[in-house]
Amino acid sequence: MNICVLVKQVPGSDAHFAITADGAWIQEAELPFEMNESDNYALEEALQIREQNGDGEVVVVSLGPDRCQKTIREALAKGADRALHIKEEPPYHSDPYAIASAIANAIKAENFDLVLSGLQSDDLGFGQTGVILGELLGMTTATLVVGTEIQDGKIRVKRELEAGWFQWQTMELPASLAIQSGLNTPRYPSLKGIMTAKKKEIKTVSLAEVFADDNLQEFNGLSVQHVEKQTEMIEGSVDQVVNRLVDVFKNEIRIN
Amino acid sequence: MNILVVLEDKSGSIHRMSQEAIAGAQQIGGECNLSIGILALGNNAPALAEQAAKYEATEVLSMENEHLNQYTADGYAAAVAQVIANENPQYVFFGHTYQIRDYVPRISVKLQRPFLNDVVSCSTNEGKPVFSKQAFNAKLLAGLHPQGSGPVLVSFQSATFSSDNIQNGTANVRSVTVEMDTGTIKTVPEEPFQEAAGGVDLSSADLIVAIGRGIGKEENIPMAQELAKVMGAEIASSRPVVDSDWLAPHHQIGSSGQTVAPKLYLALGISGAIQHVVGMKGSKNIVVVNKDPDAPIFELADYGVVGDMLEIVPKLTAALQE
Amino acid sequence: MSEREVLELDVLFVGAGPASLAGAIHLKQLLRESGQDASVAILEKASEVGAHSLSGAIVDPRALNELFPDKSVTDFPFEAEVAEEHLYYLTAAKKIPFPFVPPAMNHHNCFVTSLGKLTRWLGGICENEEVDIFCGFAGTELLYEGDRVIGVRTGDRGIDKNGQKKPQFEPGADIHAKVIILGEGTRGSLTKKLINRHDLMQGRNPQVWAVGVKELWRMSPGSVPQGYVAHTMGFPLGHNIFGGAFLYGMQNDIWDLGMVVGLDYKNPAVDAHHELQRLKNHPWLHSLLEGGEMIAYGAKSLPEGGWFSIPKLAVDGAMLIGDSAGFMNGQRLKGIHLSMKSGMLAAETIAEALSTDNFSAAQLADFELRVEKSWVKDELWKVRNFHQGFDNGLLAGLFNSGIGLLTGGRGWGFKNRISSESGHLKMEKKAERDRYNDLHFDGTYILDKVTDVYYSATAHEEDQVPHLHVRDQDVCTTTCAEEYGNPCTNFCPAGVYEMVPDGESQKLQINFSNCVHCKTCDIMDPYQIIDWVPPEGGDGPVWVNL
Repeated sequence: MNICVLVKQVPGSDAHFAITADGAWIQEAELPFEMNESDNYALEEALQIREQNGDGEVVVVSLGPDRCQKTIREALAKGADRALHIKEEPPYHSDPYAIASAIANAIKAENFDLVLSGLQSDDLGFGQTGVILGELLGMTTATLVVGTEIQDGKIRVKRELEAGWFQWQTMELPASLAIQSGLNTPRYPSLKGIMTAKKKEIKTVSLAEVFADDNLQEFNGLSVQHVEKQTEMIEGSVDQVVNRLVDVFKNEIRIN
Repeated sequence: MNILVVLEDKSGSIHRMSQEAIAGAQQIGGECNLSIGILALGNNAPALAEQAAKYEATEVLSMENEHLNQYTADGYAAAVAQVIANENPQYVFFGHTYQIRDYVPRISVKLQRPFLNDVVSCSTNEGKPVFSKQAFNAKLLAGLHPQGSGPVLVSFQSATFSSDNIQNGTANVRSVTVEMDTGTIKTVPEEPFQEAAGGVDLSSADLIVAIGRGIGKEENIPMAQELAKVMGAEIASSRPVVDSDWLAPHHQIGSSGQTVAPKLYLALGISGAIQHVVGMKGSKNIVVVNKDPDAPIFELADYGVVGDMLEIVPKLTAALQE
Repeated sequence: MSEREVLELDVLFVGAGPASLAGAIHLKQLLRESGQDASVAILEKASEVGAHSLSGAIVDPRALNELFPDKSVTDFPFEAEVAEEHLYYLTAAKKIPFPFVPPAMNHHNCFVTSLGKLTRWLGGICENEEVDIFCGFAGTELLYEGDRVIGVRTGDRGIDKNGQKKPQFEPGADIHAKVIILGEGTRGSLTKKLINRHDLMQGRNPQVWAVGVKELWRMSPGSVPQGYVAHTMGFPLGHNIFGGAFLYGMQNDIWDLGMVVGLDYKNPAVDAHHELQRLKNHPWLHSLLEGGEMIAYGAKSLPEGGWFSIPKLAVDGAMLIGDSAGFMNGQRLKGIHLSMKSGMLAAETIAEALSTDNFSAAQLADFELRVEKSWVKDELWKVRNFHQGFDNGLLAGLFNSGIGLLTGGRGWGFKNRISSESGHLKMEKKAERDRYNDLHFDGTYILDKVTDVYYSATAHEEDQVPHLHVRDQDVCTTTCAEEYGNPCTNFCPAGVYEMVPDGESQKLQINFSNCVHCKTCDIMDPYQIIDWVPPEGGDGPVWVNL
């Protein structure tokens, strides 16, 4: 069972963002970068499936500039077998369709049984790439996956529904799964893992070589969300305050 | 129709977020002179269509098909894509639910049209709607600009529009059919089930009552939990409460806890340190009760009370129970 | 994975700072020249190289030039060459320039640098030289065979806050090596153990430290002169607390503003973070930083003791380099070039040791000889009594330093060596808190500790035993509260230590998650009952260009 894991390198979640002059992207110079959180869970899930299955490869695919290599090495150190780096220099494509179709083009010849991706990226957060890629490659798809079980040539997945509900479903392979954070405990790389990662293959192709479909939507005009707050200070006795709060809850915010 | 709103079924009723999408369609339709259609699908389609027919819209489409009786991404994507192809609206609106995330990107591929998802704001420019979504952990806002011609798929984040603003009316109901062969469905779903809340996903809660150091001591926690229960809210906290072991870690909101953006965030005895604020500042309505008038959290408040939460909370609980 | 991983290597450095990185690179260079090879690795507790690196900094390129004779200064990842330098005496309202900058304090031909950027760059070169850098692995114990150091054990992962193993428990790894070089930086935790076990400070002055606290401010495009350097004395520290401020112009429109505070002050209420905030109230800085945005905060201690505080540098199987050994020039406020050179000299010793396969203390003592004959000694010898003069106040310190210029470093003009005592012993039992009465935290310019800590991007696995071991917390609630008023709540720049209500009295709360790994608490606690040990690997600050 050969598994492809889509891994994205994103700015650290606590980072402070400054927007470039043209409003198209953020200034990268002073930012820490790391593996997208849900991608880390997807990678761990892939490694566990491979361990349970006994054979097959886990191949990491990452689309981005040179700095991605660090995240790719991290994935290799954790146990992925080899990697494909689709190199893109700024200005970056941000349309999930364009990105997914380029990746699909790059990997279709490998005929992976499974493609695992993180549910959404911490930078753009479209959450569509894995599903679009699955549809393009004729796979079944599932999102918000919180559990997986391989069963006789199919895969049974547990999906998270809203409000504490869950649902299992059995899907034909090949399948593309968007993995929710928290479903497993991602491993740390071992010392030996770090040492052997250096010898594992990272194939690099440019985005231009695999590009297929242009942007269906353009993403720009980045701005800071302005929260203009007009605060109503509620004054008076405790009873008066409580009365006003009940009024606000029931009639203005409408909590029911 | 110019805008087609696709409904999600909540046990035979229209899902609240679909209602919000209708309200949004009506607002945008009004501003941009666009007509509205509503699509109900699935095994409860007739009931949903009947409810939708009471809203102000040009028409309601009702689609039933044996392959849609249970939700699968395979089935819903194929069916809704066909309807869109046939009806050719300019926009297709959805509420941004887990179900929509699961199947609409596939429609994007089938129709080769963009899916502008999780939109939080919409403005009008030269008679056309302009959509924005959040990016970079909701710290920034980005404009989304569809290219090419053809229907544009749009989903709205919870509470971007309010279902309170839905205009009523009467709409015609029309049946539509789709062609789907058995081979389309490659997924077999089982029955949904609930799991004991090991760690409540606060990010999907609509109402949150959050407590901070101002709660004083562990003995006061039940008072806040009572209030939350009466309000139908989830209980959450800032870091000090978890550090003192008064609540389990999954209740923590903030940079080392969960990030939430509920309809109502009631902050009791929370000062508003930046570590906490980054986890809740996207909340649609923030109500603050704190003894300290200089507490930084008042800067984020829609409603603020300088007062003792220990006095206010029990009375508020009682008043809400009436 | 529940079995302890064991790795055999030839040479292991602990800490991917400038000393170890330069040492590892130079070692590989030497081995290549002599046709040998050896496996060389560096352990680094941060999740990536540079994440725990913090300094001002102004770098003398001397060591880099020696390490890379084929490169020129434009190849090095500096921010800018020092373009203008100022030395000011500040009062609360005024800024008085020194009539001249003493030659020993000038920074001609030196470079404003971000240490994080420099270490990342050096780390990249290490990777090319086939040095393995193991990030996210903290060295927690030295492994011995008798009295010989034979390796390092890394920290366990997956122990909960009660000390119990979690499901994902992984024991630390044992790395055996022929020689272990500790380049852990200031107040290294393994260094502390090595020094104590082998009595390496015998006959030396105890080490004395300072703490540096800094903020990076992003300004409007084009408004920051790159290579601008200013140092100050006077306000806000006054004459009885060693230290001063620095202000450097970096790339990307960033002002690098910091405060160095000697950890040998008398008043237990002194708070380095608060001193930095007070500094910002000075009208000069106010107008300079107006309209800017604080983007990063950090703190780190620095070894100020000088030449006579450097321990014995080698034992059987282990060596000390860099700030762990105390190679810093307090007068020039520069240590990076000395740290790097110490690493390079250590590499020379190790190359010889490898060819003779002898790593005994006697063989490794060759390192001390090399240091003696190098410009490291030349430079540090001339300032060997610098810090000690300040024990008598600012003016005395300046006088001592000035006279030292004429006498090649003699204390007060005649003494070869001024003795000194540990900084924490100077703390008096009399807290004067009113120095901070004029501080008003507004959340955007004058920032409280909690807010600043947020900007250090520090994070720790929450469910673990706090890595700050306070050996007797009863002391905190009783003796210390009475005598010193719990100075840890003041001297920690990250607000780790808090006295919180506990029924009728108080108890110590350790907010270890805020820790920025500066080691001030281990240094300054008057009872010396705090042991800083590394938390889980990968935890701590995530500094980019500090």
